[in-house]
Amino acid sequence: MIAGRSPFALEVDNIVKVYPARRNGLFGACSEPVRAIDGLSFNVPRGSIFGMLGPNGAGKTTLLKILATLLQPSSGHARIESFDVVERPLEVRRRMSMVLQETAGEMFLSVRDNLLTYARFHGLAEAERGAAENMQLFDLTTEADRKVQDLSGGFRRRVQVAKVFLVKTPVLFLDEFSTGMDPILKRAVMDALRKESARGRTIVLTTQVLSEAEELCDDILILNKGRQIARGDLHALKLLSQDVYEVAITFESLPAGIEHEMAALHPVRSRINGNTLEFCVKAREAEALEIVAALAKKGRVLRVEIGGASLEDIFVELTQKAGAEAR
Amino acid sequence: MSSISAMLYRETKIRATNITFVFWDLFYPLCYLLVFGVGVTASLGTPLSAPGVTYNSFFLAGVLGMASFGIASNSSWSFFMDRDNGIFYEMLTYPMSRSEYLLGKVLFNVFIAIIQMVITLGLGTWLLGIRLRADLLPLLVVTVILGTAGWFFFYTIFALKIRRNDIFNSVTSVFYFVFLFASSMFYPLEPLPRWFRVIGLANPITWQVDLLRYTSIGLGNPHQLGMEAVAFGIFVLACFGYAVRSLKQI
Repeated sequence: MIAGRSPFALEVDNIVKVYPARRNGLFGACSEPVRAIDGLSFNVPRGSIFGMLGPNGAGKTTLLKILATLLQPSSGHARIESFDVVERPLEVRRRMSMVLQETAGEMFLSVRDNLLTYARFHGLAEAERGAAENMQLFDLTTEADRKVQDLSGGFRRRVQVAKVFLVKTPVLFLDEFSTGMDPILKRAVMDALRKESARGRTIVLTTQVLSEAEELCDDILILNKGRQIARGDLHALKLLSQDVYEVAITFESLPAGIEHEMAALHPVRSRINGNTLEFCVKAREAEALEIVAALAKKGRVLRVEIGGASLEDIFVELTQKAGAEAR
Repeated sequence: MSSISAMLYRETKIRATNITFVFWDLFYPLCYLLVFGVGVTASLGTPLSAPGVTYNSFFLAGVLGMASFGIASNSSWSFFMDRDNGIFYEMLTYPMSRSEYLLGKVLFNVFIAIIQMVITLGLGTWLLGIRLRADLLPLLVVTVILGTAGWFFFYTIFALKIRRNDIFNSVTSVFYFVFLFASSMFYPLEPLPRWFRVIGLANPITWQVDLLRYTSIGLGNPHQLGMEAVAFGIFVLACFGYAVRSLKQI
């Protein structure tokens, strides 16, 4: 129900989603019920870009499907633009558009007809002009008359994403939108998303590509096993990992046995890239510097870089911590 | 309304991409009437108790009923294709209700069924000399529309509930066998054994075909037809309600 105009585009209140137990065939065992979302609550202000991060099975797609009226929650409430997703699904659908995680398209229709059909469903005037502009933005003009079934996976994804830019719904859901996109197109789409957000459109996205979230999102929710494990803008999340440092040491030639010495320090993660040792370590500042100094003595060093935690470090640390606590 | 017309536009566009679909959709009841009807008449004569009614005239309602059933069965496959293409779930996020989604789809089927009916009636009367009851034609059109919608909603329930193509395929084969042959589609029920007649009378295809037979050539018992009309109306509404419910539970 509408209870006055809320400042939030999305309001999620103690949402729970349990997938019931299923029997695997006539003689198969019965699976356990799965608690995919476990009491999530959060609000998203209008015009922001909100990112949901989490490992596979964290509940991101389930949550997006509930918000997009594709699934009903087991309990709790969610509102899009003040309309309840269960009680007023049609009003919700009039205010949102969505890019699903799976590639979706009218395979037997041309690229142009895919856009025009989508425009028709959304009652869009000047669909031809909008379709032409979007085909240009997504570099699809030369493919306009080809059937989608004859396109590569990357091009099919372009068509799918291009469609949501045709309409001006206040809320846009993107479930791993950049899957299969080349870096140039991805950048163009990210720029377009920023412009849409600047015009007041609320964008909610899930991604596994943390640099995307780092670059795009004003506000990030990290999920694990259906629960919130962290929430805030990039700065706030980085404060959660104040004692995490990312280090890169480039040697003239990689010292022998450095991998074992590195492993003994129990880094959050580490890897060797040519002659460069890259690692992330959780330690106080002085300790981190001692570790770097000790490793630097092992060979002739060309370059040392020490930085604060990246979103990836924070993500790994928080999800590992949440996993350990759950055990 | 705009979402229903958008769905109609979409279905027409997709169907128009393949001329085989169009030809088969429109002409297969007539082909059935010409091949099966003429074959039975030629080999068995006119095995009916009703005076002056040829097997071709009797079977006309059967092919119209079979066409409704066939359209429904074929178009319910589109749920599987749409699911495979991912577009099914995307469409459920479009600004339309679940009822509009189904009505848009059924409107296309009704459109095809009416053209099919016109071709079958037109060429059937011309080529086979079937005499139609012109005064009942409007009721015939209503029966074709209701039948096409009813069977589409019926099949939709199973297409939405069943996730595997192979299982759905088996289910539709059973439906074809049970619904079509345990009915008055190919033969009158009166001479059949009692158990067969009971099954036939409880079969919604019998209700629809009996109505089609009355509204096309005027054959049937008005009292029984009244009950069958009510039963078939309830069947269509129940299938629509349950199909919408199934779509909401996806």
